[in-house]
Amino acid sequence: MRFRVALLAGKLVNFLCRFFRYSGTSLPGGVALKICPQLIYKMAPAYDQVVAVTGTNGKTITANLIAHILRSSGLSVANNYEGANMIAGVATALIKDCTLNGRARSQVAVLEVDEGSVKKVFPAVQPDLVIVTNYFRDQLDRFCELDHNITLLRRVMTDLPSTRILLNADDPLVVAAGRDHSAVSYYGVDGKQSEDKTGDYDIREGKFCPDCGNSLHYHYYHYGQLGDYYCPGCTFRRPVPDFLACDIKVDDSPLDFTLTVRRWNSSSEGCSAADTVRLRAYIRGFYNVYNILAASSAAVILGVSEKAIQASLLDFAPATGRMEGFIYRGRPCTLALVKNPTGLNEVLKTILRKEGEKALIIAINDLAADGRDVSWLWDAGFEMLDNQSINKVICSGRRAGDVAVRLKYAGVPLSKLILEPGCRESLETLGLQGAEEYYVLVSYTSLNKYAKLLQKMGKDVVRGADQGMPSLS
Amino acid sequence: MRIRACHLYPDLFNLYGDRGNLIVFCRRAEWRGIQVQVDEVSFGQKSPFIDYDFIFLGGGAEQYVDIVVKDLQGKGPYLLEAVEKETVLLGIGLGFQVLGHHFSAQNGTMFPGIGLFDAHTKARPDRLKGNILLEVAADLQEEVERIGGVPLTTIVGFENHSGRTFLGEAKPIGNVLKGWGNNGEDKTEGAVYKNAFGTYLHGPLLAQNPHLADLLLARALSRKGEVKLDSLNDELEIYAHNVMKKRLL
Repeated sequence: MRFRVALLAGKLVNFLCRFFRYSGTSLPGGVALKICPQLIYKMAPAYDQVVAVTGTNGKTITANLIAHILRSSGLSVANNYEGANMIAGVATALIKDCTLNGRARSQVAVLEVDEGSVKKVFPAVQPDLVIVTNYFRDQLDRFCELDHNITLLRRVMTDLPSTRILLNADDPLVVAAGRDHSAVSYYGVDGKQSEDKTGDYDIREGKFCPDCGNSLHYHYYHYGQLGDYYCPGCTFRRPVPDFLACDIKVDDSPLDFTLTVRRWNSSSEGCSAADTVRLRAYIRGFYNVYNILAASSAAVILGVSEKAIQASLLDFAPATGRMEGFIYRGRPCTLALVKNPTGLNEVLKTILRKEGEKALIIAINDLAADGRDVSWLWDAGFEMLDNQSINKVICSGRRAGDVAVRLKYAGVPLSKLILEPGCRESLETLGLQGAEEYYVLVSYTSLNKYAKLLQKMGKDVVRGADQGMPSLS
Repeated sequence: MRIRACHLYPDLFNLYGDRGNLIVFCRRAEWRGIQVQVDEVSFGQKSPFIDYDFIFLGGGAEQYVDIVVKDLQGKGPYLLEAVEKETVLLGIGLGFQVLGHHFSAQNGTMFPGIGLFDAHTKARPDRLKGNILLEVAADLQEEVERIGGVPLTTIVGFENHSGRTFLGEAKPIGNVLKGWGNNGEDKTEGAVYKNAFGTYLHGPLLAQNPHLADLLLARALSRKGEVKLDSLNDELEIYAHNVMKKRLL
């Protein structure tokens, strides 16, 4: 009874939200959970499979990629595609997916779960497969420290012994968090083509061996602390990936790489067979190789054929209203969410890889959803922007001054800096710059505002066209 | 002219933008034609601290407390000696707490500090966090004016700590106008002893407070004689400082 009332209330709030065009994707679930805290426990078992994606960066795009691949293979999928990833957002996605009788419409649920929310969400949804992308430092004042999230995941997973877990082998923090589990698979990126020209700017977490405390050594880094590491003091090292990305082409969209799937032979130690398939997707940024790889690996585990994955990736467009490519004042304009140093560095590297003059807006707010503490700007490698191809940088948002100061100390000449805290004003100023390309890098709370203004003042780029967005959430 | 700086425990104590302080210190010296050589010193490494003009100790993740406390038992006396010989030292967050007599962790474990500041720290379960505004202690204000630093009389920053620090003889850097400060009770923030400064204002403290950066720089230089600093174009720094100040007042 309580369940039915909660469900109807959630549906009603969802309807009202849509009616008033209010984009609060966690409100319906939040209301329903108030009425029936057991709501998710009752709804989740209706799905044949529940897949959960967690980690710091790449959750949204990885979950959306998985959902897209599964849909292309003929399954019906429920997911929180708009990135509302705390417990209320998960509840909203399930409420939207079910009929008024409380029956799930879809066969599979693919859920993106905030790394601080796994404790509440995982026991409720009992995932069949969990994917962990990476652990980087996020806003300190919201989540305290990285160590906390890693411990949290390890503890939560011990209560889910039958859940399969897919880990990023290249991140020692992810491996340390999940390796104790019984059913573990790994994905990783081959290092022979490591592109780390600007890697010196990265903050590297997880410098120490989780087993013996020695400093980890690396054969190579990809970005952040991702790479091929080993402990000189004990046996801890990067696990051999079951799913390996190699021969990566990143210079242009589409991203292009070979996926090798190792089939383990249970009777012998060695790898008995390996299937390879060439994957392409219209997304930009080296870091997205990891996201495509994670999603494709998950799809293989879920029984989708490599051929079907290959075909479905080609028509994936990461734009979901939040990350869109635009034409603004006749120039390509890319809108990217930035929320932590590693993510920001990867966006900057992607921008700089393109030739031609660029003008940027960097708009940072410090409301609760952005993180009140903007200290992380000093952990990001803004030094990269001391570059000839950068024409102008417009500093915007509530912390425009702090962005400008950061860029000044990063070596960007004062003549290239413009201070313009207002959202619309900053876009107007951007439109006056004679660069070949525009980029708008924003923190969470101004993302929708910029997206709406760009839709109004410019025009969208057709899905799947050459302007694939860096998607970082 | 040349300054020797030391980044202490850069691999362990590198939380949330703290390295920004070293970037700011170095740039502001370089813009005035002063070269800064930065050495990184971590655990297990011996170092003659007395040779450094400036030592920076950032905040750290609690998981490394054991390692650092153990290591500081060896380094402590040398740090104390350096501060007695006028070396400038800045410790932030946990890097501030370890400079007191002792401090306790969340689980009640007591750790010894190096006793540079007459202060001690107790952990409580709730965290004191948010933007903070201080009025700089009067003698420090006068000093900023004397050396030709940026004429600001307040300090802005962000704090996030569960430890409550109580000062004995040590003097605070300033008194709290908005925010929590050392313990959320007595309106003090930070500690000063000779050229050593400790504070809970983490992240790019010196970027938002160029006058404090200049004060540390002048003191580091003053080991080599009386100093008056060339003025810099600080429009952006002052703008950022005042936006936050206005918001908090």
